[in-house]
Amino acid sequence: MFRRFAPIAFLAATSVAGAQDPGATVADLAPKTGGSEKVHALGHIVTHPGAWKAADIELEQDPGRPYVYVCGFVNFDTQIYDISNPAAPKKIFDWTIEHPELHRGIGAMDGKYFKIGSKYYYAQSFQFMQGSPDQDLGAVIFDVTGLPDPSKVKVVARIYYPSAPGGFHNTFAYKHSDGRVLYFATVNQSKAIIYDLAKVVGGADSSTWKIGEVANPTPFKQIGAGGYHDFYVGYDPTTHQDKFYGAGLGGFSVWDVTKPEAPKQMFTITGLGQDIAHTFTPSPDGRFAVTETEYQYTPLRIWDLTDAQAGKVQNLDTPIAAWTADWHDLSHNHEVRWPYVFVSAYEDGLQIFDLKDPKHPKTDGHFYTCNCEHEHGFGGTPDNGWQSTTSVEQGAFGIDVRNYDGLIVISDMRSGLWILKMDGFNSWNGKDYGQPNISSVQDYDHGPAKAPISLAPIDADHAGR
Amino acid sequence: MIARGTALGLACSILVGSAGAAQGPVGPNLGPYDIRLFPTAAAPAVTGSARLVFADSPFGVAVTADGHARYDVRVTAAGLPAPTSLGPYTTYVAWAVSTDLAHWVRLGPVANGMSTVGPVDLDKFLVVVSPESSLVAAHAGPTVLHGTSPSGWLQSFLTHPLFRGIPD
Repeated sequence: MFRRFAPIAFLAATSVAGAQDPGATVADLAPKTGGSEKVHALGHIVTHPGAWKAADIELEQDPGRPYVYVCGFVNFDTQIYDISNPAAPKKIFDWTIEHPELHRGIGAMDGKYFKIGSKYYYAQSFQFMQGSPDQDLGAVIFDVTGLPDPSKVKVVARIYYPSAPGGFHNTFAYKHSDGRVLYFATVNQSKAIIYDLAKVVGGADSSTWKIGEVANPTPFKQIGAGGYHDFYVGYDPTTHQDKFYGAGLGGFSVWDVTKPEAPKQMFTITGLGQDIAHTFTPSPDGRFAVTETEYQYTPLRIWDLTDAQAGKVQNLDTPIAAWTADWHDLSHNHEVRWPYVFVSAYEDGLQIFDLKDPKHPKTDGHFYTCNCEHEHGFGGTPDNGWQSTTSVEQGAFGIDVRNYDGLIVISDMRSGLWILKMDGFNSWNGKDYGQPNISSVQDYDHGPAKAPISLAPIDADHAGR
Repeated sequence: MIARGTALGLACSILVGSAGAAQGPVGPNLGPYDIRLFPTAAAPAVTGSARLVFADSPFGVAVTADGHARYDVRVTAAGLPAPTSLGPYTTYVAWAVSTDLAHWVRLGPVANGMSTVGPVDLDKFLVVVSPESSLVAAHAGPTVLHGTSPSGWLQSFLTHPLFRGIPD
């Protein structure tokens, strides 16, 4: 849907990535199948009967809770699978918005689990269109403590945001260093909203749930919009700050949200090709970052944040490297388990690359999950089945990685739930790589790791950039 | 994925297409009193549309005592199968449904062709057609057609791109 930006994007991509010979004939692209030697599919479930199976995915992290949550996308549902046997995922719960046939929109988009005290919860975000019921619904919160017994799963709250209908596209559940569990949500405005989840699930007056906002400092004025698309929140044990890494229309921005009621802007990433900013994930120590921009032919970009984190510059505009699975396509979401980056790469399925040398990303493996026709992705409206003949937005949409055993899950828009493994990646703890043990995975019992790690230069060559 | 523009795009295509309804309430010909009705998986071959007309009144417009507009709904449908083919049903009924789906107001019977039912005095509502066991039964049957009242497409100015960033 953003193909008009492709020429600029391609120039940007080739300038940093040294892409393929532009004089070579481009062959017709057959559906891609199979995987590389080190990456294996352990299990696969076709989650829905229609053309579109899933949006994002969430994997619980406690060893005693082998549950994965699949956001049902335009099926408007949430499915929970027990994957104690990865080869045979068992659907144990399915919840659909009431009267789904009356709803219109892209539906169940993003999911995050969280824990408060001894109770586990799951927040399913929704997006319904103007004119549809629940156009102001952002998320439905479930108490999932009683899993695997589905009769014990209950809806405990719904978050509405009526001042900007359109729901929550992406969300992030964060165990703040002050002890609160916060929920960051995109809205159809130039800001992100911060909720205190203890208030949400605790029955507090809904007018008290929202505790803060993070403005988008880089609105994309050319199209009159400027909302966030996605974000990551992480603790910086060196500066003792909670930091928000936001991607939105116009670029990327980093905020100090140590006091979430009053976020402070730190720096931005803007420049050619960065306007359709989609995802922004830092390394555990915040020195590097991986960003995604959402248009065909664009690579993931790698940034050195050192000078910006130190306050020496207020904006970055030149990445130090880039990576792409296939320049014909587009890589989507990613999870960083430094130095590995796990990518749900749309038509290119699961892709894994590493940043052992951040200036020279190296592909470690892949597994194709889409098996789909190139450029026949998601687009249009409900009336044409959301079918496009130009979009590459199909295939691996969401990804998550379980830290205690290295299990990988993919939600594929075309084929459903995949459970995968990469040989040699059997767990992740940042300390094993000289990094803080910080990732998208939250330690809800203890909060973020606050002890700084003594870091040696990763790559002296980049230090002067 | 960035898809918020899709929803806004569809809304805009309907809102700006108010030039007239002579060719039927589809796409750019959708008028300000027209409702496009969508089929569902229960009966995917059904087609339909609806138009709001002021309910009977000695005046030019019909309103309730507290000022809400009162409309009849002129439903045009084709391809409705026999209600019995969908379950223990005998007739099709049109409903006006509040946007939170909490209130279902029975408007009257619907058949293939044109049926005028009503009145409805909700500000924003959905029109739903479903097979039911009788004309007086509570709503129970599967939806075969549904659409949104034109007022349902109205939105807060704060969501308009020109007003992004203004504190709510």
